[in-house]
Amino acid sequence: MSDAPKDLPEASERRLEEIEHGLFTSDLSVNEFLLVKEAGYHPLGLVMGSSIYHTGLQTRKWGESQELTKLTEAMYNARELAMTRMEEEASELGADGVVGVRLDVNYYEWGKDAAEFIAVGTAVKAEDGVSRRNALGKPFTSDLSGQDFWTLLRTGYLPQGLVMGTCVYHIAHRGLGQTLATTGQNVELPNFTQALYEARELAMTRMQDEASQLGAAGVVGARLEEKTHQWGSHTIEFLALGTAVTRTADEITLTPPVTIISLDH
Amino acid sequence: MSDDLPEAAHGRLQGGAFTSGLSVADLAACHAMGLEPVGLVQGFCAMQWGYGPARTGFGGGLGMGFASGLAPSVARGGYVENYQCPHAMVSAEHRQWGQNYEQTWVEQSWHDGYDAASRRMLEEATALGAHGVVGVVDTVASLVESGVVEFHLLGTAVVVSGLERPATPWTSSLAGQRLAKLFEAGYAPVSTIAVVSSVRVWASCMTEYFMGSGAGLWSSPSDSVEIDQLVSARTRARQLVRERARSQLRGDELHGVDLRVSEREPGPGDIDIEVQLRGNRVRRARPADPLTFPRPTVALS
Amino acid sequence: MTGAAPSPNASGDLPAAVRQALAVAEPVGGARAGLTSDLTIDETLILHSVAWAPRDLVVGLSVQSVPSSIWSWGSGEIELASRAHARAFAHAVARLHAEAVAVGAHGVVGVHVERRILASHIEVELVGTAVAPADAPRIPDGQVFVSDLSARDFALLLAGGWRPVALAVGASFTYAPRRAVGAALRQQTQNVELTNYTAALYDARSTAMERMQRAALDAHGAGIVDVTVTEGPLRFAAHAIGFTAWGTVVVPASSSQTIDPLTVVSLDDAVNAFDVAPLA
Repeated sequence: MSDAPKDLPEASERRLEEIEHGLFTSDLSVNEFLLVKEAGYHPLGLVMGSSIYHTGLQTRKWGESQELTKLTEAMYNARELAMTRMEEEASELGADGVVGVRLDVNYYEWGKDAAEFIAVGTAVKAEDGVSRRNALGKPFTSDLSGQDFWTLLRTGYLPQGLVMGTCVYHIAHRGLGQTLATTGQNVELPNFTQALYEARELAMTRMQDEASQLGAAGVVGARLEEKTHQWGSHTIEFLALGTAVTRTADEITLTPPVTIISLDH
Repeated sequence: MSDDLPEAAHGRLQGGAFTSGLSVADLAACHAMGLEPVGLVQGFCAMQWGYGPARTGFGGGLGMGFASGLAPSVARGGYVENYQCPHAMVSAEHRQWGQNYEQTWVEQSWHDGYDAASRRMLEEATALGAHGVVGVVDTVASLVESGVVEFHLLGTAVVVSGLERPATPWTSSLAGQRLAKLFEAGYAPVSTIAVVSSVRVWASCMTEYFMGSGAGLWSSPSDSVEIDQLVSARTRARQLVRERARSQLRGDELHGVDLRVSEREPGPGDIDIEVQLRGNRVRRARPADPLTFPRPTVALS
Repeated sequence: MTGAAPSPNASGDLPAAVRQALAVAEPVGGARAGLTSDLTIDETLILHSVAWAPRDLVVGLSVQSVPSSIWSWGSGEIELASRAHARAFAHAVARLHAEAVAVGAHGVVGVHVERRILASHIEVELVGTAVAPADAPRIPDGQVFVSDLSARDFALLLAGGWRPVALAVGASFTYAPRRAVGAALRQQTQNVELTNYTAALYDARSTAMERMQRAALDAHGAGIVDVTVTEGPLRFAAHAIGFTAWGTVVVPASSSQTIDPLTVVSLDDAVNAFDVAPLA
């Protein structure tokens, strides 16, 4: 793509220029590299995006379970920024997509309430010259390994994008009265159940919404992560992550698998 | 759909795209088996924890009940075993009795919590019109606050075209290739099973001494001695889960069993043993037809 | 290593087999009601392929109390500890064996050894899978074997013409020798071998190995495979050192079988791509 990205630092642009002259870098293993080639794609280079984000404060009510929308927004936007920059780097290289994306969060001593969100992956381009960009005209992203990428394509799917949904939820502390009232029994705590159940459902819903926006047929490899970051035990981020996929017109070329009894340990 | 599920679940389950927790390899294997993923399903339950007859019965003053010379009768139903002091000695510090007892109330609460989470996951799966749930994983832990135990189950609901829907979806912790092998071996998944046993050891004077925390009232033995009370409690705790799991099988088999043991020592001579057993209940659907022995290979890597 | 075997479904139509299996309401012939096994599906299949099958999950454990005073300063072997360790293992194996005999098994494979050595007691817990050839009658109790080989190793061993007969264990606990104060001072600036240390540790290690070998000979074995050796200072008594070794005693069953491996290049990275990854 020719539209120059706006917010990438200079060193990054120099690095990308070198890559454009034919040298490729990738953190793919030899096995993955060969499988990506086998799938008809060529690795272009390692791309990354990062964003250091200051998360705002939000008051939490001691006795009330609620979503902390401001924190949810912060966590979401920061990751989105890192991802977008990575996509820009990939665009700069003329890539069709990015495989093996890793999303990390780093905390530094110097940054109170600040965290660095990083996205790193390998940009790839289809060798037949036909664009495989997603419904939004951007390179697709996915956290699939080279092996998974090959298998997915053979199964008749194409990745559309790494999709995520997040929900930062504050779980009410129990008041003394409540605690006393249930002393002496091991019983279900409906309020806790409701709050934690709902938070997970919200994160999963948002991930599915992202997938729908991409016109995806489904999400594979969905994971649900629980992080407390640095907010204390009653405030929890639920992060749902997965790769949205669409069906391609290509026929399914994965040969029916042969049953193998593994002699592996 | 049941009112047991939170608001957000209703909305999510009506969404368009399928979501699956399956890896790409597992997805490919599911396609090969004719299982179509329809959505990620979960079930959740938070239980209050840490209370029971043990606390209210003789909490704090544990020694008192024993010193009176009578065996305490705390466990109603379940395994109990008493150990009497062999010494003719009456003293406030000397334990006259030791006891192993099954904490049936702990087991009951654990099963209640697990079953509620499991039931909710199945409700979500039913709402999606699923035949089964594959790749079920569970976590039993405290996320928010001690004194609360959370049971969370997560799996991928699947439908099988051309098959009548069962009243309750089947479940399995297997997915992908391993599930395919299960079918090829002539088995069908029925359900995941998780059971627990909880046994408390209140050490007798001898056990306490042998565990190294008692006062040395008699001379050191010149040889090693088996600590019968502890061996008995641990053996029984492991037997209980196996019996419990077996009682749920009704003619089926249990495969891939995972036995997890944890022990706490809330105080000297007081040991809390918990054993969790998980496995896949499977049904033999056609007579065994073993594969030929695989040709061993050496990977050049 | 991996090996391929053709599918048992002559038609090769997996979806049809899946639908058919899911429609079955009652277990059919060949099902072993109440069977409990901790084997993975791969291990079950590989066991079936050598005409063996799991019978039940079996457990054996023992806790031996030792006077904590034995760990304090002394010299030579701590015989009471070595004896307690041997006894804890013997009792645990005997209980595991009894459980296996009770379910009519011919042996126990995949035994996980959990062991703790504390100042006041030595604990051994063994968990394994009782196995037997499919539909085989009981054999005399004395012939039921215990082995820490995995089901996969067991099947491969059978295919290669060997069979396991017993678990052999050897242990030796010893006090680290002391250096005279004068010697320690003299050696402070020199590079010298501490010959008395060398000798003591060498001795203890040999003793543990020798005891394991003695156990193997008592079981009329031809050799020991998959030996696990642990050694090092004890956490609670830095001047006491423990050496233990255990492995499976094997004997040849037939001389003509070989495994004849095939060489392959795998394109998988060093992970098992088909494992169910934990989602949390």
